Parts: sequence; structure tokens; C-alpha cells
Amino acid sequence: MTTATEAITEYRSWAVEEFRAEEEPYYVPVSDEIEVFEAAWNSKIPVLLKGPTGCGKTRFVEYMAYHLNRPLAVVRDGKTEIEDESNLPLVTVACHEDLTASDLVGRYLLEGNETVWIDGPLTRAVKAGAICYLDEVVEARKDTTVLIHPLTDHRRILPVEKKSQLLQARDGFLLVISFNPGYQSALKDLKQSTRQRFIAVEFDYPPRETEAEIVQHESGCDLDVALNLAKMAEKIRNLREHGLAEGASTRLLIYAGRMIAEGVSPRRACQVAIVWPLTDDGEVQRSIEEVVSSIFED
Amino acid sequence: MTAQMIEEAREGLRQFPPALAQEFEAAVEAVLPTLEPDELDQWLRDGLDIARHSLRSWEASSEYFRASGPVLEQITYDQMREWCAVGIDLMETSPALSGALFRASPAVLPHLSVSQANDWSAQGKSLYKGTWKSGSLSAQYFDVSPQILPHLPLSQMRLLVDLIDSLASHSYELASACLGMAPGVLSQLDRADRAPFLEFGGIVAHTAWVDARVYFERGPGALRQVSEDQRPRYLSLAGQVAMQVGRLGHPYFIEAAQAISEVDKDIHEGLLELAEQLAQHSGDAAMEFIKSSPRVAQRLGIDDIARWQEFGLQILQQSRDGGEAFFRLESARGEEVMEALSSRVDLDRVSELIRMYCKALTGVDVGVKASEELTAKGVGWVDESSPTTEGTTIYLPENVERYPTKEENFSVYKVFATHQAGRLEFGSFEYQSELAPDLFPAAQNGSSNGHGNGVVPAVVEGEEEQIHTDMELFFDRFDDRRLAHDLFTIVEDTRIDTIVKREYAGVRRAFSRLQQAAIERRRPVEDMPARQAMVENLLRASLDEIGRIRWPNELAEEMRTPLRILNRIRSEGATVQDSAAATALLYEWLSQIPNVELDSEDWSDFEQEMSADPDGGEDSDMMPGSGSSGLEESFMPFMPGSEEQPYDSPDPVDFRGDFKPELVQLLMKLKGETGTGDAPPIPLTKEQLQELLEKSVEISINELMDMDLAESSGMFLDNLLKEVNQIQGERQEGQQAMGDDSTGADDGEELPVEAASFYYDEWDFRAADYKPRWCRVQEQRGESGTSNYYTETLHEHTQLVQETRKQFEMLRPEMFRKMKRLTDGEDYDLDAVIEWYTEKIAGATSETKLFYRRNKVDRDVAVAFLLDVSASTDEEIQKHHEQRQDDQFDDDPRKYLSWWAQRRAEAARHPGKRIIDLEKEATVLLIEALETIGDKYGVYGFSGYGRDNVEFFVYKDMDEPFGDRIKERIDKIAPVRSTRMGPAIRHCIWKLQNTDAKVKILMLLSDGRPQDHGYGRDRTEKEYAIHDTKMALTEARREGMVPFALTVDRAGHDYLKQMCQDMAYEVVADIESLPRRLPALYRRLTG
Repeated sequence: MTTATEAITEYRSWAVEEFRAEEEPYYVPVSDEIEVFEAAWNSKIPVLLKGPTGCGKTRFVEYMAYHLNRPLAVVRDGKTEIEDESNLPLVTVACHEDLTASDLVGRYLLEGNETVWIDGPLTRAVKAGAICYLDEVVEARKDTTVLIHPLTDHRRILPVEKKSQLLQARDGFLLVISFNPGYQSALKDLKQSTRQRFIAVEFDYPPRETEAEIVQHESGCDLDVALNLAKMAEKIRNLREHGLAEGASTRLLIYAGRMIAEGVSPRRACQVAIVWPLTDDGEVQRSIEEVVSSIFED
Repeated sequence: MTAQMIEEAREGLRQFPPALAQEFEAAVEAVLPTLEPDELDQWLRDGLDIARHSLRSWEASSEYFRASGPVLEQITYDQMREWCAVGIDLMETSPALSGALFRASPAVLPHLSVSQANDWSAQGKSLYKGTWKSGSLSAQYFDVSPQILPHLPLSQMRLLVDLIDSLASHSYELASACLGMAPGVLSQLDRADRAPFLEFGGIVAHTAWVDARVYFERGPGALRQVSEDQRPRYLSLAGQVAMQVGRLGHPYFIEAAQAISEVDKDIHEGLLELAEQLAQHSGDAAMEFIKSSPRVAQRLGIDDIARWQEFGLQILQQSRDGGEAFFRLESARGEEVMEALSSRVDLDRVSELIRMYCKALTGVDVGVKASEELTAKGVGWVDESSPTTEGTTIYLPENVERYPTKEENFSVYKVFATHQAGRLEFGSFEYQSELAPDLFPAAQNGSSNGHGNGVVPAVVEGEEEQIHTDMELFFDRFDDRRLAHDLFTIVEDTRIDTIVKREYAGVRRAFSRLQQAAIERRRPVEDMPARQAMVENLLRASLDEIGRIRWPNELAEEMRTPLRILNRIRSEGATVQDSAAATALLYEWLSQIPNVELDSEDWSDFEQEMSADPDGGEDSDMMPGSGSSGLEESFMPFMPGSEEQPYDSPDPVDFRGDFKPELVQLLMKLKGETGTGDAPPIPLTKEQLQELLEKSVEISINELMDMDLAESSGMFLDNLLKEVNQIQGERQEGQQAMGDDSTGADDGEELPVEAASFYYDEWDFRAADYKPRWCRVQEQRGESGTSNYYTETLHEHTQLVQETRKQFEMLRPEMFRKMKRLTDGEDYDLDAVIEWYTEKIAGATSETKLFYRRNKVDRDVAVAFLLDVSASTDEEIQKHHEQRQDDQFDDDPRKYLSWWAQRRAEAARHPGKRIIDLEKEATVLLIEALETIGDKYGVYGFSGYGRDNVEFFVYKDMDEPFGDRIKERIDKIAPVRSTRMGPAIRHCIWKLQNTDAKVKILMLLSDGRPQDHGYGRDRTEKEYAIHDTKMALTEARREGMVPFALTVDRAGHDYLKQMCQDMAYEVVADIESLPRRLPALYRRLTG
């Protein structure tokens, strides 16, 4: 959660399960999602985040991981260490259609003359007691969903087939998955047997004022501009299902805000950051551009 | 002596019929007073000479005598001799002509000088060819001369004679008829046009003589449609064209004249000049240009037309056909250029854009339509050109052409639409009588004014009151509904405009421009009576033009308060409730101002010092003084007469358009769309509507319909109810479709589906351009027969069915395919690992591609089969055989006979299969096979006649599941009409576009080359159709589809090669193998 202003001159690397946010991720709650998530985490119930793209699902998980305290021991490489940790590690896996079970669990690698087992991100999260966030889970192959079933009920167990092992998840571990019901075809819907293992938190774009606040904070543009962007987004979202598969996401608004803050003219910024990314349909593009030109003066 | 001379002559005439003697006697009488004796002698002798000249020359002589008297009244005897010498000369040609000449002489002499006699006679003589028909034509010439010469100088008469002469070479009847018509025709023409008219006539006579009579009949009328000073020019153009195009010249002349009459006369000259330029290259293009001019001129000014013509001229120079199509407006490029040149913006072109824009703004599913559509419904709106809304749809003028550029004109649309959308977005129609305004606490509903307070409580329940709308109740509070309505409109529009400008900063500039323009057009305030002037000033203020308010200085204070009220509505957060409250306040104020003419020397622009301070002043300031007579008194000094003038509403403001909140609320209520939303629509009796109608000022029946009041108000009610019922009907339909209690539509019977129309361009290879929206494809479902055919076919081909099914099953992909030897993957590929390890031990370093991955393989194929069901598929296949085998029997007729008898007997037992039958069989087999692998497929047929009737039959649509219905339809596949392939292919492309699949195949199955009425220059032309089909197939490929053409026409190679070029095609030589071949081909295409 580095903001655009922070200079990053050298790359840094973490083991997936060790990555934690150093600063508090910026998140503005829209309703009681924080309390709900906390309760779920406390009672070890996996969470399903539903909502359109770019509305803050990932950011929310990051925020929660930062805030959920876990003053516990860490098992690493078979040794137990007590670490002075104040927040949960977060393992994020972006799912894609070729993501297989072994990608998640782990596999043997050849090293020198022997094979070495390497844990996959899910295994690592289970061992480290991290939040494992499977983004866009419906994109993954069906066999991966089977894998997470035993993890999501009372057992909290991850079978590692190749090593003939069963892993009991450490406290703190929580499986969070997200999916976007908007554009998925019926084919890629989540199976009921999977869905019904989660509590679901529904996300939508925040209300105009909140969204403006977020945009202003994240992009560093003026409040006026942010308000106009939020207003515009509201208008564009009215076109959902009418030529547009998805409304303009908050993320795109932030991009537009940054462009404007960088000195790009608002109309142009909206064009490159919102209109063009949103759709390829010329007519719809023009309609949106008319909305943009109605709201922004130059 | 004279008497003796006369007696001698009389004697000489005895041998002739007595009629001549009678003429003679009369003539002598007439000439005797004027002639000297020697002249008389001469005269008598001339007469006798003529009579004696030949057998029937006495008739000419008789004419000579008869004419003498009248002629001598006009000219001297010497001159007459000179004149008559011409006639006598003519005797040598034909005495009858000579007679005709004499007969006409008295009447033509006023128009001709004696010296012209020769010319005149020569022209007549030139018509005489020695036959009696030509003789009578020539005589007719002399007979009609007196009627023609007043209109035509002799020199130009030559033109007519040439024309007639030319016609006479084809038909004397026609020539004579035209000559007879000539005087009438010429008299209808302007002097300057006559010669050109005849010149063009000459060309017509030459190139298309049969049209001559029509030309004489309709020509003058046609010509009158052209601007006076341009008629000769038009005629000469028509002539120039006719020389090139021959027969078409005259129809062109008539049609183009008709067309040009629809264009403003001022630009005729310009158009003709442009046409003349074109005529140098192509006569057709020139005339087509003029014929298209009305449509073009609608869009372009003359300067732009010139640019458009220039563009077309360039095309014309490259390709004649292309240019002609361009000017015929049958080319996509022509339309494009026009669109690009025109600054006009048509609603057609932008309605979808505006619709989405408005939907984005309002968040509701608004429609966008032309205002005409609303006025046509006759439900209260009458202005066809102003924007408005009835709550669900935004209506806009059909086109905007106010400014010189497209962008500016579009911005006009945008302002119109934004304002109307603003009414919806910011709740202009959501007034609720029981809600209190925020900004005007002092003006609680009803509490502050004395008018009709009692009405307000009527909102409470009670069946009958239910139909009142809140808006109606609001207006009920005022005695003068018109004034209240006007004020509410001003206030509410002010509110909307203010919010729109605040919320949508980007349209501010365009908005201001229209406001500015609107204010320029307003009538002067000074001429208005006081109340009206105040309303007008409020309206000006509402247009943000405080500076344009004109008001007597002495009464400045009285104007200030209403302005302050209006200004407050501009505050943030104002709602329609506030507008209503402000209206009430304004009404209170204004109703006390007498509507009497103001007389003040001191009219001045109003300076509004508190304009920047909308909240300035106490609320109590906004109320009229407690003794309300105060206002009136302050006006008294400036009112010379005390006569109350009738109050007129202010002129409408164009960009705001019509505002009918009461009607909109009523409509919404009727449609059941108010409040909770699921409240049932309220039934309304006619009487209740009638009452509303009489009350409302928003509906002026007189404007609405041109009939007497009772009738038209009834009509209005019908329309209104119709409108409402229609919407309710749609809704009920929707509900019924979900339920199953509808009227028998579910018992397996398919409802007849109306043909849906689709329009497609057609490729004109000559013009190298598309003809826009050229073909209409009518999609309809194939008829249903029985499913027996399907089952029987399967039965008949059991063997084949099983074969194909097996083959197709092999096509079905395994769910996962293992991909080996990857650098990364799911797991190790054991073989690779062992190999690698062995090599490693052996000391070699080999590749480390040790992984495998299972890739999911989807078969994702959609195919559209397009069957040719044209009439030619009716042909029996046996005929092919016969043709093939004919020559085998040439030498032995007996052998042939026995073969033939055998063949016939066989044919009687098994009726021969037709091409269509094989197509059907092949289809059945293919469907059977396709069902096993689960590809998406559609089966379609096409035929039709002419470009606007391409029939497209759906036997199975892409997303339709296979079942008995499909089987039944296949049964009824039957040959119909022609083969216009292009549009059918394009429609198939559209079908495939709407289908989701990775591989899309368009399979065309035909029995011959494409042909149709008008598919090419004539029926025999093959090129055009082939090119269009080829283009359609290319389009399919461009869309990422795989087109494949299959034909059973053994001559197919020649055109298929051209049509498909680098695309795949196949000619099935042995047509009977089609049912086997088709599935095989399909496998190959998709395997």
C-alpha cells in the first residue's frame, strides 16, 4: 500500500506468508463490514466477498489483515518462534483459469540430486495462520474448489496429497474468497456446495460523498474534482446492463483523479482513465463522453 | 369596262363548280372599291389562272378569292401580288397547299411581313413529301399558323417544323396531333422558353419519338416547376442529356423537373450549373443529381451541395457506375459525404447516444423519440418542434440545424436533453401536495393565500378524489390557472436550469448560448400590460438576464419582490415543493397587479442589486402588504386607461420546451407509476377525464384537433386512454407470458410470428461501394408439417446415420488433453524425468522440460446452415441423368426407347427426388450427427423476390433446442422463389455474431448461381450477384467466421471460384451423395 508519492528505489521481497502491510491501508467503511469480518474471523468462519470490480474488496481484506491482531507464535521451518506481531500476514492469490490444486498446495522441485518440497501459498497460509485471500476464485479450475472444502468447515484441514499429509490450520488462518457476480457467465458461477461454506459480505460502490473522499485521499486531487468524479461515476453506473457490463470502478476514478492531479485536463483524464478502459463500443463511449463533458468544463 | 371584265371572268368560271362562282361574287364585291381597273384585271386573271391550273385547283382559287378582301384591307394590291405569287408558286407543288396558304393568309398577315411570305411557305412546303398524308400535314401547318405565329416568330417556327417533320418520319398521326397541340402548348410557355422548348422537343422527337405527345402534353407543366429564369437552361441541359441517354431523356426531363420543384427556387440556378458540369461526363449522373436534389438540399446548403457534387464528380470520373450510384443516393459513400458536409444533426443518428446519456443522468430507463411521435398520439402535446417529456420518454425535435457546425448543433440537442432529463432527475413531476417546502416556511401550502383553501383537504381518502393528481390540486388553489401554470413553469424551469448548471458545469457554456439566443427573440416588454410585463420580466430573469428586464423606474420596488422570490429558488437544495410555494407567493403578488397598459416615460433596464443575495430580505417582504390594495395603488399613476387587458402567456422558451406537469402526473397516475409503484393503475371514467380536460390549461383542444369541441375532446380522451391501455396491455402481456392461463397459446401450437425486417447494404461492384440499406430481409419461422418426414428419413438411411454418428462421436473432444514436456506445469512427467535423470547420470545435460499440464479442451463451435430454397431446387434429379445419358442412345433409337419406357415406369413408381429433397435429407442427417457432439447450430433457408423481399426462413434458430417442432419444420422446407444470396448471408452473419462460440462456421448450400430480380442490371447479368455474394462471404470472414460454400450445380466451378476465391468451397458432382457428403465435410471443417 504504497502511495504514488512514496519513492521506491529498490525492490524488496518477502516470503508470501510474511508479507504484511507496514502502514495502515486506507479504507473507508461503507457499512458494518468491519464488524462482520471481525466476528467471522473470531469464529473462524470463511468469508466470501461479493461485489463489482474495483470497489475495494482487496483493500478491505488488506485493511482487515492489518487490524486483526494475532499475538501468537509463528511456526517457521519446523521451529517455533515468538514474534512480536501486531497484524496478520495476508496471502493473496489471484486466481486464473489454469490455477491448479498443486499451484495452491505445493509441489516437489528438483534441486541438485534430490527433490525438494515447496509449499504452495495456501499451505503457507495454513501454516502461518494467515488470511488467505483467493481473488476471483471462480476463475480457478474446479479441482481447486474441492481443495478448499475441508479448510472451510469445522475441520480446518488441508490435505497435502503428494506428501500424504493433513495440515491443521493454525489459529488466525482464514480463508477469504472474492467473486464478482456481475460479469460471470452462468458457467462460471460458484457451486452451491462451495458457496454455502462462507458468510458473504456484499460490496457495492460507496455512496457519492464517501467515494469522493476516497478518491481525493488516494489520488491527491482537489475535493471538487473528486466530487465531480464521484458524481460522474454515479451517472455512468446508471448505464450498467445497458451497453456497459460494469460501472466505472472506484479504482478507475482514482486513476482519473491522479491524472488530473498530474495536470492532465479533466475531460482527457476521464477519457483515458475511464471511458476507454470501460468499453470498446463507440456509441457507448460517446454517451459516456457526453456525460463527462457535461460534468467537467474543459 | 370593269363590268365587262367581271363578266368575262364570270364566264370563265362557268366550267367550275358553282361554289367557286359564289366565292367570286362575294370577293368582287369586297375588292371592287379598292382596286384600280388594271389591278382588277390582273386580279381576275390571277384567280382564273389559279382555277385553271389543274384538276382541283379551283378550290385554291376559291380560297384565293375569299382571302382577297380581308388581305387587301391589310396590305396594298402590289404587296398582295407579291404575297400571292408565293401561293401561286406553291400550286406547282400542290394546289391543296396553295389553298391552305390563301386560307390562312388574312390571319397570318398581322404577324408576318410580305417579305416573309416565302419563308413561311417554304416551311410548310418542306413538310410535303408528295403523299397525301404529308400533304394534309403541310396543309395543317398553314391552318394552324395563325394561332402559332402570335407566340412564335417565323424564324423560330423553323424549330417546330423540324420537330414535326422528324415526327412525321415515324408517324403522321403523331406529327399531326402534335402540330395541332402546338398553339396551345406554346401559349402556356413564356416567350423566352418557347424556342428552347422546341429545341428539346426536336431532340425528343429524334431520340424517343413516341414520347413526343407526352412531352407536348406534360412538358409545359413540368417546365413550370423550374424557376422562371432557369427554364431555358434546364431545357438545354435536358437536351444535352437526352442526346446521351436516348430514350430515357424524356422521363428524366419530367422526373427531374418534378424533383427540382421541391427545392427552393433560389438554388435552381446553382443546381443546374452543377448538373451541367456532370452532364459533360454522364447524362444519367446529371439527371440523377437533380432528382436527388430535394433530399440533398434538405441536408446541405448550396455551397455544400457543390462540395458534395465535386466529390461525386471525382468518383464519376473514375467509375461511371460508381458516380451514378453516388448521385442516385444509392451508395454508402454518397451518404457519408453528405453526412460529413451537413451541419445538421438528425435525431435518428444520435437518439441512441442521447438515450444513454439521459439514462446515465437520470438513472431511469428513459426513451428518446422525436417530438412528432408524441404529438401524433394526440394526448395533449401539440408542438412538434420543441423538446418535452411525458415522464418516461424524452421527446426532441427531429433535427437541429441552428449553427454552422455539427458540434454546435449537437450541443443544442444536449442542452435540450439535459434540461428534460433534469426535470426527471430533479423531480419536476414529483410535487406532493402534503409535503412542506423547505425554503419558504412562511408559505405553507394553502395557509397563506385565500384562494380555494378548502380544496386541499380533498386529498384524503374517498374513492372519487383518488383520481386527482397532486399537481391538479395545487393548481386548483388558484382562480387563474393559466397564470399559476405560467408562474410555476417559470419558477420550476429556473430551478432546473440552476441545478443543471450547478451539477453539470460542462454544459454551462452551451446553455448560456441558448439562453442568450432565447432572450434575443423575446418581444419587447414595453408593449405589454402590467401583469403580463411582470411575468415576462420574471421569465427574463429566469434566463439569467437580470440586465434584460425592462421596467418603469418608478415602480422598481414592486418588481423587486417577485424577483427576490424567484431568486430564492436558485438556492441549493430547492425542491419542487419550493417551486410550488414560490409560485403561490408570486401568484399572490401578481394577481393583485391589474393587467392594464402601463404608461411611463421612464422605462429602464433593471438594476438588481440584490441579485447576488438570494436570501436577502425577510420572508415577510415577500408577502404583499397586508392591505393588499397597496400594490394596486402604486400602479395607479401609470395607468392612463383602467381597461383590464386579457392576459397572455409569455412566449415559450425553446430549449426548455413544453412543460405539462399536471398532464404528466395524470399520465403517471393512470399508468400506475406514482408513489409505491405497485399500486394498481386507477381506472378513470370518461366523465372524470372530461372534467380534468376542461380544467387544465395545459391542453388546448383547439390546437390539438381541428374539429368542433365536443368531438375533439372525446377524441382526446380516447387517445389518452389508448395510450394508457397500451402500456397496461404490455404489462399484462408480460405477466401472462409468465403465467399459464393465457388463451390457448401453450397447447403446443406455435403462435404465428410476424416477419421481422432487417436491412442490409448491398455491394455494387461497379460503383465499388455499398448501396445503403438496400435489401430488406424478412425473417420468418418455417412452416410446420409433421415430424414423420424426419423419422422416415432416418429410417431410410439407418446405415448412413450410424456411420456418421460414429464418426462424429470421435470428434467429441476429451475433456482434458495432457500437454507434456513443459518447463512448468502441474506435475512431473515421469517419462521426461527418467530420461532427464538417465542423461544426467550419463553426464549429459539435457533439457529440463519435465512437466506436464492438462489443458481443458472445449469444443466451441457454432454453425449456421443456409439452405437455398429457391424455385430451381424443385428440379428433379432424374433430369440430370437424362441429360447426361442422352447422347448414349443417339445411334440406336430403339435402345433409347426401351430405356426411356423403363425409366418412366420407374419414375411412376418412385417419384423422382428433387434437389430440395436431397438438401432436406442431408440436413436431417447432419442434425442427427450434430446433436451427438453438441455444437450450436442453426438451420435457415432463403429465397425471395426483389430487394425488399428477401425471405429468410428459420427452421432452427441458434439457441433453439432441437425437438419435434424442428422436425416438423424441416418437413415443410419447400422451394420458393429467387436466389438473392448476399442479404441472406449477411443475416446469417448477424445470427452468428449474436452467438457465443470460438469457431463460427457459415455453410451455404445452394443449387446454382445467385440470381434475383434486380440483382444485377438485368436477369441475365451474373456479375453483380456474384460480386455481392462474394462480398458477403468476405464480410463473414472479416467477422472471424469460416464461410463455406457448397453447391450441387455441376457448372458451379466457374462462379464459385470467383465467389469464394481463396475461401473453401466444394461442388458436389454426384448430387445424390449429398446426404453423405455434407456431414463428412462438416467434420473436416471443424475437426
